[in-house]
Amino acid sequence: MSTFDIPIGPMHPALPEPLLLKLELEGETVVGVDFDVSYMHRGIEKLLEAKTYFQGLPLVERICGICNAAHGLCYTLNVEKLYDKEIPPRAQYLRLVVEELSRIHSHLLWLGIAAFEIGFNTMFMYTWRDREAVMDMLEAITGNRVTTEYSQIGGVRRDIPPNLADKLLKTMDIVEERTKYYVKVALSERTIAKRTQGVGYLSPEDAKATCAVGPVLRASGVKNDIRADDPYAAHADVPFNVITYDTCDVFARIVVRAQELFECVNMIRTAMKNLPQGPFRVKLPMKPNAGEALTRVEAPRGELFHYTLSEGALKPYRYKVRTPTLANLGALRSMLTSKGRYVVNIGDVPISYGSIDPCICCTARVHLFDLKKGKSWVWTLDELRERSKRGKLLP
Amino acid sequence: MSFEQYVVETLKTVVFPGFVFIFFLSLFYEWFDRKFYARLQNRVGPLYTGFYGLLQPLADFIKLLSKEDIVPKKVDPLLFTMTPLFTLALSIFATLLLPILSNQGIVSFNGDVIVSILILTFICITVFYAGLSTYNRYAVIGAERLFLQMIGYEIPLTLSVVGVALSAQSLLLSDIVLSQERWWYILGPQALGFIVFVFAAQAELERIPFDLPEAEQEIIAGWNIDYSGRRLAMFRLARNIELVFLCGLATTFFLGGPLGPTIEGYTPLFYTFYFVVKSLFVLAVLTVVRALFARLRIDQVESFCWKYLLPLALFQFVLVRLIL
Amino acid sequence: MSMIGELIRSLFKKRATVLYPEERDKVHLPEGFRGKLEYYEDKCIGCSLCFQVCPSFAIEMVPEDKSRFPKNQTGRRPVFNIARCTYCGQCEDICPTKAIHLTNQFEVIALDKRDLMVK
Repeated sequence: MSTFDIPIGPMHPALPEPLLLKLELEGETVVGVDFDVSYMHRGIEKLLEAKTYFQGLPLVERICGICNAAHGLCYTLNVEKLYDKEIPPRAQYLRLVVEELSRIHSHLLWLGIAAFEIGFNTMFMYTWRDREAVMDMLEAITGNRVTTEYSQIGGVRRDIPPNLADKLLKTMDIVEERTKYYVKVALSERTIAKRTQGVGYLSPEDAKATCAVGPVLRASGVKNDIRADDPYAAHADVPFNVITYDTCDVFARIVVRAQELFECVNMIRTAMKNLPQGPFRVKLPMKPNAGEALTRVEAPRGELFHYTLSEGALKPYRYKVRTPTLANLGALRSMLTSKGRYVVNIGDVPISYGSIDPCICCTARVHLFDLKKGKSWVWTLDELRERSKRGKLLP
Repeated sequence: MSFEQYVVETLKTVVFPGFVFIFFLSLFYEWFDRKFYARLQNRVGPLYTGFYGLLQPLADFIKLLSKEDIVPKKVDPLLFTMTPLFTLALSIFATLLLPILSNQGIVSFNGDVIVSILILTFICITVFYAGLSTYNRYAVIGAERLFLQMIGYEIPLTLSVVGVALSAQSLLLSDIVLSQERWWYILGPQALGFIVFVFAAQAELERIPFDLPEAEQEIIAGWNIDYSGRRLAMFRLARNIELVFLCGLATTFFLGGPLGPTIEGYTPLFYTFYFVVKSLFVLAVLTVVRALFARLRIDQVESFCWKYLLPLALFQFVLVRLIL
Repeated sequence: MSMIGELIRSLFKKRATVLYPEERDKVHLPEGFRGKLEYYEDKCIGCSLCFQVCPSFAIEMVPEDKSRFPKNQTGRRPVFNIARCTYCGQCEDICPTKAIHLTNQFEVIALDKRDLMVK
């Protein structure tokens, strides 16, 4: 039987950013899906090669509007590995505070978007109204709501004075109270349960095989969090719980992200209580040492990965960014294919797509071209593993 | 009929409470719906056009009329042009049945209870043809969902109305209004019927939670995706007039129509006022339902209608039969 | 049905929207907000560090007469193009004499591009 193809995107009210999802339908069931994510390519990695390390920080923050603090943090941690100097501990704690604040704002934004995708406009308006408290706090601490540029090479940009610290703790109380209300609504509202339970199912084996990251992986019961496994900034000193849930569907992802909000609030409270004294920035020279550096950070969407290769000059030779949404797209394909008793309707497509928390502006693929021979190809996961074992990534 | 009666009847049909009145009333209802929905979400709603945004729906209508009317190449030209007109004509005709000035509407005959439900089905069929007239896949999916939804809510809607007709022992809208002089039907076993009618009306009007044929997030605009300009303006006007009609029906069946305490000689004005106020109450209930729930999937709509609405309607019917 | 209490309460609460052009005083900008920049020419020493860190190349160093600004050591002075500025504030952080300050002004509009140069 031939299938009925409908495209979702690139311009579609359900998608926050342009991407093409080609769905193959039989009636109202989805039997196949194909993606095209090249609509937001901006050439950032090439631009970074034309700017010095200090000039590159605002550009890196603009890779994604929502997880900008994570990108900035990863960039500064990465570049600092090329220097020999020690970063003061107060700076690491302050970086953690702003990173967790940005995670709170990203998760509240996501709760609103998820409600919008299932048609629940009221919850969308309420979560975004409460998110304004966090944005005001970010504005007071860093000077801007998004693109905070708080984490700089050598430390942080400004200190948090005591009156601002009090306001921060009061905002945390507000956020905690509102999040409790939203968790209560999500658990007790029948229409949300009907739209999200059993939808977008991703078994733990599939999650590990398709390299899912972040809350998508944790909602399938796999305990994996970079802040716990590979601590950076001050995460080794500030304890927290890794939240998992085991129903492996969209409902699990809502619960995981809502519970992570509570953990963020607690981490900020602990960090502000144990803030060490000292300077918050050291001056670093413009030219780092030659070498390679690699950093992983837990962005709100998952594992974020930056790599740089420096030859001791003012500008980097190569800068590579791999964002979590690219890793989650393989999981999305597995979620959207009907197999056996698991049936995917068209109505499930927007919410499943929304549940991986997509940020297509971060996504970039590697596609290889050989101009002399006129070939173009893509490596599979096993080929990548083979080559990295041999230590030969360039053909 | 004498000449004066002829003139009066024409004025009643065209101006008040006929076409012009219904036109402005539908725009007012849309304003109330948007403003109330926005206040429920702690927002503002329309504010700047006119006093508190009262002219916003009129501005939207005029703007749509002035836009370019794009007709895609591969459409059925007859269906594409005629369906907006038919939908508009059907909804306007339906409002002529409503008892606004007195216990009788402008058009009143034996069996108009059945005709009012029948018109809703006809509107649904014309909209289905509107969706099918283009080659766009989204429109086809939207039209198909519309019909599936109609299968769900049609029977509970009819049953709730039958309960009312049984209590009044008549199939005339004017008799139903007159039999509510002592107390309104909603204060009896028909309260269940009112709940069923509210949900079925929400499904008929394609509002959340039964928003599927026009689901914004999934199939962009569903069956009216290819309509623009004047044709879209007519569809939107038809939907607003349908809103007036359904609120008016709910008022007639369950809230006693236009009846209420009056002063001698000014009865038509008082009756109109009571009718509008009671309809606004029904509209407020519909808007709260719109703000409370998320959108249901098509199979969930069917299971909701057949597992919950239909038994409730049957139970209400049996209750009415026993009490009488 | 679980949000019904919150919905009814919202009917009586004040609206969350700030009607921006009319209620300009309700937009609370905190201290340290990064808006349009101000340049104090008598504090500038002409080190051109700001020029080296600007990510969008909004600063241009032009030659300057040393006698007008005695503190200027190199004979050059920056000119800022606000149309290209991204309000990152790195110039303010790195300036050793605090000659650059980012103010609260966020409504930066001009009918002529030449009005967008801060000298």
